[in-house]
Amino acid sequence: MQPFALNYARPAVESDVATPYAYDSGLQLNVLFDGRIAACDHGLLRELGTTTSTAGSKTHFDD
Amino acid sequence: MTVLILTCEEDVTADMVVVHLNTAGVPVVRLDPADLPGGVALSGEYVHGSFRGHLSSAGRLVSVDGLRSVWVRRPGRPATRTAEPSAWLTEESSQALYGMLRGSRARWMNHPDAAQRARHKPWQLHLAQRCGLPVPATLITTFPQAARAFAERYPDLVVKSVSGTHPQDPPRAVPTSRVAPDADFAAVASGPTLLQRRIAKRADIRLTAVGDRLLAARRAAAPDAAGGPVDVRFDTSGTPWRPCEVPPRLAAGVRGFLREAELAYGAFDFVEDADGTWWFLECNQSGQFGFVEVDTGQPIARTIAEWLARPAAGQEAGVGEARSAAS
Repeated sequence: MQPFALNYARPAVESDVATPYAYDSGLQLNVLFDGRIAACDHGLLRELGTTTSTAGSKTHFDD
Repeated sequence: MTVLILTCEEDVTADMVVVHLNTAGVPVVRLDPADLPGGVALSGEYVHGSFRGHLSSAGRLVSVDGLRSVWVRRPGRPATRTAEPSAWLTEESSQALYGMLRGSRARWMNHPDAAQRARHKPWQLHLAQRCGLPVPATLITTFPQAARAFAERYPDLVVKSVSGTHPQDPPRAVPTSRVAPDADFAAVASGPTLLQRRIAKRADIRLTAVGDRLLAARRAAAPDAAGGPVDVRFDTSGTPWRPCEVPPRLAAGVRGFLREAELAYGAFDFVEDADGTWWFLECNQSGQFGFVEVDTGQPIARTIAEWLARPAAGQEAGVGEARSAAS
């Protein structure tokens, strides 16, 4: 019998949307393909949800 | 004096803080322990009664003695991105890195010991009670009969993960969920189960604490929230977060919690009931904050940067700053 809480589990949703930025080790920042700093584009961050509290993420052990 | 940030490359939330540190001219070394050894290297020697240690990553070299603060944000497990990873190498690398850093005088956000303790949700509930924060009636048990008796006392319950973690094999999420009135509690014997009285919420509250500064945001729940998702992370309504004031008595409780837990940072989750009472749910010691700042415009990243930029006790600015490994 599986633990009680797992009766309420659901498949984890991992975003498969490619982020339009990449890490630049020289700047130590993620940079958009047009050269702008991704973190300065709050509209984009809201749209992507990459700063959002998640559940079941492989990379986030703490929400 | 350098700020050391331990996090993964894709952590764009950490970028929000790095931007402010750059603007302030504060040296930063950012690295992911997952890249140790390889992209990240270290060396430390204990000779003639003193310690000298260095870290390097992406062409930057910093002395452990030259760190003003360490931000443990979203680090990967040491040595997991190396050519030949193993559990042994992870332990070796973890001991070397964190063992050396523990010898520095840097300020931590958050110290690994405090972080480890704070991840225990049951301990959080206990501490919240001691600090005078309202905590919903909660039961953690493997006794099915105890669960049944609790459900008779509190017929409207939610169930949530005790640890806050989620199964990975296969990957699943365990959201906070309402327990059906006719639930069979036999499976409680198969694993510790956390049952909690459901609070009929008027709003969700996210209170981000950075040092002494408290930044709270409120997200109104739909009028018919009783039938909606209990877990705000699964609420797709799109209702934005808005800044809100922290009731003074609650602020005192939160500051007491942080002091007792020895945390410099904490993202607290509360729910607000119809009377305006904020009920403590949990404190995420490395919780996300970017989504709140994006919605509210609250200066959370800047506040974190300012906290990290303060010099460590007994250190003077300008000593041991990050420099190119090539110079």
